[in-house]
Amino acid sequence: MTGDNQKWLEHNTFHHGEFWDILDLVKEKEKKDLKISLCIPTLNEEKTIGKEVLILRSELMERYPLIDEFAVIDSGSNDKTLEVAESYGADTYLASEILPEVGDKRGKGENLWKAIHQLKGDIICYVDADISNIHPRFVYGLVAPLIKQAEVQYVKAFYDRPLNYSSGLRSSGGGRVTEILIRPLFSLFYPELTNIIQPLSGEYAARREVLEMIPFPIGYGVETSHLLDLYEKFGLNAFAQTDLDRRVHRNQTTNALGKMSFGILQTFINRLHSQGKIDRVPDVETFYRRFEVEDGSYNQLVQEVVEEERPPMIEIDGYRKRTGNS
Amino acid sequence: MYQMMLETTSKDFDLGNLLQDLPTQIEKLQEARKLVLTDAVLLGEVPSPTFNEEDRIRLTVDRFRENGMEDPEIDEQGNASAVLPGSEGRSSILVMAHADSVFNATTQHVLNVGPDSITGPGIADNAIGLATVVALPKLLKILGITLKDDLILLANTKSLGRGNLEGARYFLDTKQRPISAGICVEGASQGRLSYAGLGTLRGEIRLEVPSNYDWNRFGSSGAVGHLTRIINQLLEIPLPKEPKTKMVLGGLTCGTTYNKTPHSGCLRFEITSEADEVIAELQQKVNDLCEQCSLENGTTVKLEVVATRPNCGIPFTHPLVKATRSIMDEIGITPQVIPSTGDLNVLIEAGYAGVTLGLTHAENIGEENETIQLAPLQAGIAQLVTLLQAIDKGICES
Repeated sequence: MTGDNQKWLEHNTFHHGEFWDILDLVKEKEKKDLKISLCIPTLNEEKTIGKEVLILRSELMERYPLIDEFAVIDSGSNDKTLEVAESYGADTYLASEILPEVGDKRGKGENLWKAIHQLKGDIICYVDADISNIHPRFVYGLVAPLIKQAEVQYVKAFYDRPLNYSSGLRSSGGGRVTEILIRPLFSLFYPELTNIIQPLSGEYAARREVLEMIPFPIGYGVETSHLLDLYEKFGLNAFAQTDLDRRVHRNQTTNALGKMSFGILQTFINRLHSQGKIDRVPDVETFYRRFEVEDGSYNQLVQEVVEEERPPMIEIDGYRKRTGNS
Repeated sequence: MYQMMLETTSKDFDLGNLLQDLPTQIEKLQEARKLVLTDAVLLGEVPSPTFNEEDRIRLTVDRFRENGMEDPEIDEQGNASAVLPGSEGRSSILVMAHADSVFNATTQHVLNVGPDSITGPGIADNAIGLATVVALPKLLKILGITLKDDLILLANTKSLGRGNLEGARYFLDTKQRPISAGICVEGASQGRLSYAGLGTLRGEIRLEVPSNYDWNRFGSSGAVGHLTRIINQLLEIPLPKEPKTKMVLGGLTCGTTYNKTPHSGCLRFEITSEADEVIAELQQKVNDLCEQCSLENGTTVKLEVVATRPNCGIPFTHPLVKATRSIMDEIGITPQVIPSTGDLNVLIEAGYAGVTLGLTHAENIGEENETIQLAPLQAGIAQLVTLLQAIDKGICES
């Protein structure tokens, strides 16, 4: 490991325990006149959304006013996600009703992108809706580096204490797609970004001014594209990461992860081209193909995965009007 | 005599005023209960098996401090307590909930919050009870209630099983302040009204087959066979109908596989009776049975008593019990008189008037899918708060 990488890890990698004093964070936030918004993107999350809203609202809005605004942005759930979220006090929105003039696309990235328009905070924190062991650390651990360090623009979560703190070195706890796809790709093309321990984690916080200047893939590639785009603009020092300890969530099937990897690869290859790492992108397919065996015969399953992208929010008229940048 | 009648009338009047406020309280608690639910989840997701409650206790003390309690502390038995000073502070009211749970640390302590219920290990017994006690200072503030007496909140450890109420006993033995009355808070079930502690003996029968055991002797058997015989003999012991007496065989541990004869085993049981002498008599019988089995079969069978509680109680007509019944009646809760085998026993044994209340309805208690209903919770909390006010106003003094 180079000296710079080690230095970055030492200075920009945190543990949520460093930010246990939430009252201190609230004071610093107020002193710096920062507003913080929390967004939970949802699609059929009735089983876990109630707990997330209950805990995060009670602790980080009512007990300690760290969060100024809390919204659930939904992709059109057909279960009781919105009803449950509202019953525990969340503001709920349908992504399709935000900036209706730009149309509606289906995907988590769409909700995250539209949150930039809908929410007013200087810092936006995104937390996935499927965390069974939700705790306030999932938010304060991510916004704290942004409150405390002006040079930090974007903070990623990582989990399960993969680093050596007291009981010996353990291997990184990244997910399967991280370890099999993203880490090898980063090692090939963006070695500095391998310092981000869990590049695909769904929890992160960022300053509005950086979120509004980058495009958002609406599907699987959104986390990867954020890292690549912000790295190109600001370098590694714009990033920080926080260990949030254990995260309990749904386990995805290998098939689902294959489809996810297919989407991420599209985004990655596009970035390689736009950032001049490769000369040209050949025509590529958008159909993900896999096989299943039934009664001794092989059936090919074909699913279309198109990684559409939303342009940087700053380019959208409606947004510029709202923020007075027209 | 005339003075006594005047006092009675004045107390009735005071209680009547408190009862009138109940509907407004319940309404205000509809929103405020989210505080309690949040703490129930945060506290409940920290494993707290009996004898290892440190992590949950640490969080409890943090909460006491955050909620404006004075002198939050952890004593030598690991109990967490704190004081909310009253406007006069002439006496103290104790509100307590046990912090331990039957689930060990390897159980996945994840609670699921639905629109109408919360499910997960230990939510009813006793995460929601503890959370309510922890939230009391905030709830009193929201309801605009200032007590004259000091309010002592206690999260007591080592309550369940082998814990044998050690935490609460230590706290009461070493407490520094006078206590006028106590309320024990349990998650379930709403309507529970305990004002007496039931005489109890909990024991373990441990059986060992020695390594030099003669497998050719008449009646030879492994631990399973011997324990089965002991169980059959226990079930044949006649139990009196009056005074009411019960024996529960609660747990059996023996063997690990299909094809190996186990050499040891353990049977856990509980005897409860309204008469202490019946318990003593039954203990002697169980002891005799163990000795007989040891000698006749060449095994080692030992009875270990892990917990005992004598019968104790305050009368049904005690003003504290009467006030509790009136409050339940006003809310529409049907009281279910259940003698306690828990923390209340220690409170009453120590000479204090006390009751145990349940907050809401629950299912699958003791299972990993333990579930509490949320709709009855605000009424359950309102009964606790109103009883607290009644004690504070002197309505419950005998």
